[in-house]
This record gives sequence, C-alpha cells and structure tokens, in this order.
Amino acid sequence: MIRRRDYLRLTTQKLALRKKRAAFAIVSVALGVVVVVTVNSLMAGVRDVAVKTIWTEELDPDVIRVYTGENPYEYVITPDEQKQKAKKRLQYLTESVFDEIRGWPGVEAADRPVSVEPVSISSLDKRPRTINELQGVPEALLLRYVTDRALATGITNAIPMVVGEREVRLRFDEKRGKLEDDPDGEKTWLGREVTIVLGDNYAHLTHFNYDYGKHEYKRVADEDVTEQRDAIERNYRGMYDMTIFNTTLPLKGRVVGFCPGSKALIPFDAAVMCEKWIDQRERLAARNPPSRTEEPESYGERGRRAPKPGEYAEGIVLVKHGADVEAVAKRIEDLGFNVATRARTFQNQAEAFDSTVHIVKEVAFALGGLILALACALVWSTTSKTVSDSRVDIGLFRALGATKRDIRRLFLGEAMLQGVLGTIVGMGLGWLLAIGISHWVIGFARRSVFDPEEALLIPDSIFSIKLGFCVLLIVGAAVVSLLAGLLPANRAANIDPVKALKRE
Amino acid sequence: MIRLENVSMEYRLKSERVQALRNVTLHLLEGSFEAIMGPSGSGKTTLIQLIAGLLTPTAGEVIVSGEHLRRLDDAKISAFRNRTIGFVFQFFNLPGYYDAVDNTALPLVFAGVDERHRRERARALLTEFGLQERLDHKPDQLSGGEAQRVAIARALINNPKIILADEPTGNLDRETGTHVMELLQRINRERGVTVLMVTHDEKAAAFAQRVIRIEKGELV
Repeated sequence: MIRRRDYLRLTTQKLALRKKRAAFAIVSVALGVVVVVTVNSLMAGVRDVAVKTIWTEELDPDVIRVYTGENPYEYVITPDEQKQKAKKRLQYLTESVFDEIRGWPGVEAADRPVSVEPVSISSLDKRPRTINELQGVPEALLLRYVTDRALATGITNAIPMVVGEREVRLRFDEKRGKLEDDPDGEKTWLGREVTIVLGDNYAHLTHFNYDYGKHEYKRVADEDVTEQRDAIERNYRGMYDMTIFNTTLPLKGRVVGFCPGSKALIPFDAAVMCEKWIDQRERLAARNPPSRTEEPESYGERGRRAPKPGEYAEGIVLVKHGADVEAVAKRIEDLGFNVATRARTFQNQAEAFDSTVHIVKEVAFALGGLILALACALVWSTTSKTVSDSRVDIGLFRALGATKRDIRRLFLGEAMLQGVLGTIVGMGLGWLLAIGISHWVIGFARRSVFDPEEALLIPDSIFSIKLGFCVLLIVGAAVVSLLAGLLPANRAANIDPVKALKRE
Repeated sequence: MIRLENVSMEYRLKSERVQALRNVTLHLLEGSFEAIMGPSGSGKTTLIQLIAGLLTPTAGEVIVSGEHLRRLDDAKISAFRNRTIGFVFQFFNLPGYYDAVDNTALPLVFAGVDERHRRERARALLTEFGLQERLDHKPDQLSGGEAQRVAIARALINNPKIILADEPTGNLDRETGTHVMELLQRINRERGVTVLMVTHDEKAAAFAQRVIRIEKGELV
C-alpha cells in the first residue's frame, strides 16, 4: 500500500518529466477558471455599484408616470381579456382620464407631461413652415441669452432642467424670415416665452473632497461651499442675460421626471407655459402655412399609429403624500394604463440589471466550461502520453509489488494534480484580474457620479471572494480532471508487466 | 520453497499458438542457487515469470512459499511479489529520474514504508555493496556493474526469500559479470536467499549449485 505522500511524490515526479505538456494543460485549465472566477467575483459588486450609482434618474417618491405602453389602437384583446370587465385600455390618455384621476383623494395633480427637445438655432432662422416642425422650447431661445455658445451646447446634455419664463412680443419678419422682438408692435404675438436651462447652476458645487491617500471623502466646510456658490453666480452673471438668470432661479422647481436622451418631463406650471407657447407658435405657423404638402397621417393595419389631438401616450400624476403612491398607481393600473413609480422603476431596473448579470454569468460560465472541457481533453492527452511513455516503469512497478489499483491511482493523481493546480493558478489570476477590474470600475464610477453624496455610496472595492464557490470549483476541477484521467489510468493499470518489461 | 506441478503455459502470438512450457514439474529448495539454461525461446523467462506470479499458467499449479499463486487476487499477488520476490533484470530497469538510493528503495514505496526508513535501509545496503560513493548518482552516471549492483540491492531491500534473476550478466562484460555473480553467490550463502537465475552464460551458471536445462518448454 503506497503512502499518500509517496503518491504525491511519484505523481509530481512523473509530471515534472513532461513539464511543457503538463504546463500547457495546467494553463488551459487556469484559463477557463480565470473567466469563471473573474466574472463570479465581480458581478455581485458590479450590480451593487450599478444600483447605487446608475439608477439616479428615478422619479420622485410622490410621482407616478402613466403611459399606454403600446399603441392601444394596434392592441389585440386576448380571449381572456375579453372576459374581463371592460377597461379604458383601448384609448390613449385624454383630458377626461386626467380629470377622473384628479378627482381621486390624495391626488394633487394629474396632467400630461411636456416633451422638450432642443432644436438648433438654424431651425428658427428658416421660413415659418419649419416652425411647424418645432417640438417644444428650442435651445435657440436659450442661446439668445447665453453669451457663450459653447457653454450652451455643453449644458444641454446636463441634468436637471430648470425652466424660466418672460413675457414677450414677437413678430415674424417675412422679408428677413426671422422672429424678432417687437415690444410695441400691433400685430405681434403676445405670450410668455419659456426659457429652458439644461443643467443646475449649482450642480457642480463641491461638497466633498476625495482623499486619495486615505480613500475617503471629506466634507467641504460650509463657508467654502457658499464661496463656491457666489463664484458660480458671478460667473453666470457674466454669461447670461441677467433678467433671464434672475427669473430662472425662482422657477427652479422640482424636476418630476426624466426621459431618456434630450427629452425631459418638466414641472406642470412650466409645462403649461410651454404648451401655450407651442400652441401660439403653431397658430403663428398656421398663418404662414408651409409651402409643401404635409404627409397624410399614416394608418397601420389595426389602426392609426399616433394619438389624435387630445390623446396622449404619457401622463404624470402627483400625489400629496408619497405613501399614497402605490395605492394611486394601482387604481391607474385598474383603468388599464401602465404606471411607473420610483419603487417600481428601481425594481424594474434592478431586475433588468439582474437579468443582464445572469446572462453575463451564463455566457461566462459557458465559455469557461468550454475552455475547461478543452483543458480536460489536454489533461487526458497528457496523462495518455505519460502512460505510453511509462510502460517500462509501469511494468517495473508491477513487478516490484505495485497493485493495479496503485498504478491507477498514480495516473489519476497526475490528472487530478493538473486540474487542481490549473484551478488554483486560475483562481489566483482570476482574482488578480478581478481586483484590477474592480479598481477600474470604482475609479470610473467615482468620476462618473454627478452628486458627491452618491459617490459616498460607492464602495472601495466590488471584488468579493466566495469561499463556497472556490471549494466547489476546486472539487469540480478535481472531479472533472479525474474523469479525464480515468481512461488512461485504467489503461495503465491493465498494462501487462511481462510485455512492458520485454525488450526486443 | 518453489514447486511447479505439471505446469503448462500456452499463449497466442498473433494467430499462432505457442506452447511456452509443457507439463513442467520442478521443486526448488529453500536457500538453493539454481540456474536455468536453454536456448532462446525455450521458456526460461516464462518459467521465472510464472514463479513471480506475473503470469498464470494455462495448466498446473505454481506454489511458492506455500502460496498457490493461482488463488491470489491482484492485491495479494502484488504483496507476494513485493515481500517474497526480488527481481534482477538483464537491462537493470532503473528509472532514470531516481538516484541510486531511491531506485534501491523503490520496492519499499509499494510496501508502505516511510521515506526515512526507506532511505536508511537503501543507504546501508548500497554501502554494503561498495556503492557508498554513488548514493546520489542517477543510473546514467553509473557503470554497468554499479547499475546491476544497485538492481541487486533493490531486489534485496525488502528481505525477499527468493531472487529471480533474468540474465543478470547478459549486459555486462566478463569481469563485471563475474563480480555480479560473486555478489549473488554471497547473498545466497550469507542471507540464505533462494536464487533462481536464467542465463545463457555457462560461466555464470557455474556459480549455481544446480543447472536446470530446458528445451522447447520441457525440462531436459
């Protein structure tokens, strides 16, 4: 009976005789393990950071976004739904729906949001027919009051949005093809011009400083923050028309939600202004109809694609107390509309991210498994080669008293050693890689977050070692490599010592 | 000590049946030194492989030290070989990755002896055979005579009752071969180990107490 220590010694000695081949097998196993370990030790942390940092554009706690989800006119009712009580799902949101919601207890306001898209100043400079195409308040109006165009371009990508307004009298100069201020003119358009500033003037106030030596944030003194605030104001005074700047600040209301891209959902009072402004623009444009014929409204097979005037695909509901949000949301759902609340949005996003994490993990595990399968083939090949090269030694060992079981265990040990060594090397490399990626992700996240308060939520590392997983991996590698070594080991055990020792 | 009763051994070589041994009956006494001689293919090596339990006879019984080898399973026959038989081969069969000590101690690995005791016994035996300067030498650093002495030390390390030597001088020059034979003779006399040697060499056979001649698988 060979002692365990001697098994290991004999196995390592044999493996050492085939360094290159064994190293190749070990590296292959390690490669597969690196993929699996890296992904496994990072994904949980990545999710954590993503949840803490990426999902910052959530709704306010007392806001419900209402939307139809799909075009109701193209919606086919399933047989099950036909049996249910009829709902209003087959129509867009309308004023009557908003009226109904407004009447519910706990609801402060319900209305459609205004979608605002920046447009270039050149659009305004064109003939009136192009005004017809304008959606929302143009960036151009902002640019009229911003002395630095580059700054204006930069801030259009910023969040949140602040809305300002002023009374204006505009006249369309047909000769020059431009809208011009005409405060004393008789045929002027009188209205409130809404000016939009994308970007919180004070968003870049530094509340925290990051100490790279100690890896921690330190709060900036209140007087320093005030000084920063004054400096920003002085700076803005130089860049903006002061009237706009001053009127903007009091209106810097709460942003009730965001849409992706350049669209934004803005406060109701501002939205109303926007709508009026747009309506007046449209009326103005109607007086100067476009020269080309407008394309007819397009209809799909099951209905029209776009809502008619007075129908809306989205809406916003404000509740008086955040605690009522889910109850109100449920009632809106019962009307047949889809809803989004902060909690639901967060949950949806987290679930979507979890699903992505799951897919990434599955792909990584499949890839790792494939590499490991190839590595097992290499382990098998190496062990087979060792058996072929060791025929005389096997014969000798048998003659000197080794049992078939001893020989089998010797070669199984060799196969297992390759698998386990590869796994240990792979785990080490995988962890090193994961630590590197963790540093990079943390650095990226800290640079990316808008609010220093959020930066505080970012952990120092997203790397985690799961002991159970490591044990499982090593045991798994041992079992798989044992299986890979089984055939060659059996072949070795069944070598006839008489034939093996025979020399022609 | 060793009894072969009506032993026949037949095996297939491709499609041909070869009768290696025919009804061989042979009794060897404990502590004897016997040589088996015969032309190539006469069945000499088959005979000692049967005695070592490396082959199972087609017919007849092989009884060594009271053990009916046919009745032993793999574990028992391996243990029997390890404890009872010492092998000396023509081509030494010393693994090149072991030094003289490790090569000598190899049977003790399969006996489950710990490393310290193994090495101690191997060193003592090699020193006894005059190889104290060659303890950490690998086989390719040893002369033919030294390598065969290491092989004999390996055969003796587990204090076996029987040494089976297959052409032990076949790969050595005459002078070295004589030294090896003297060593085997000394072992036989001083330790009382039964030595059964297969050889072509009449001079080597002269060291034996009895010469068994075999031709076409039959004792003559």
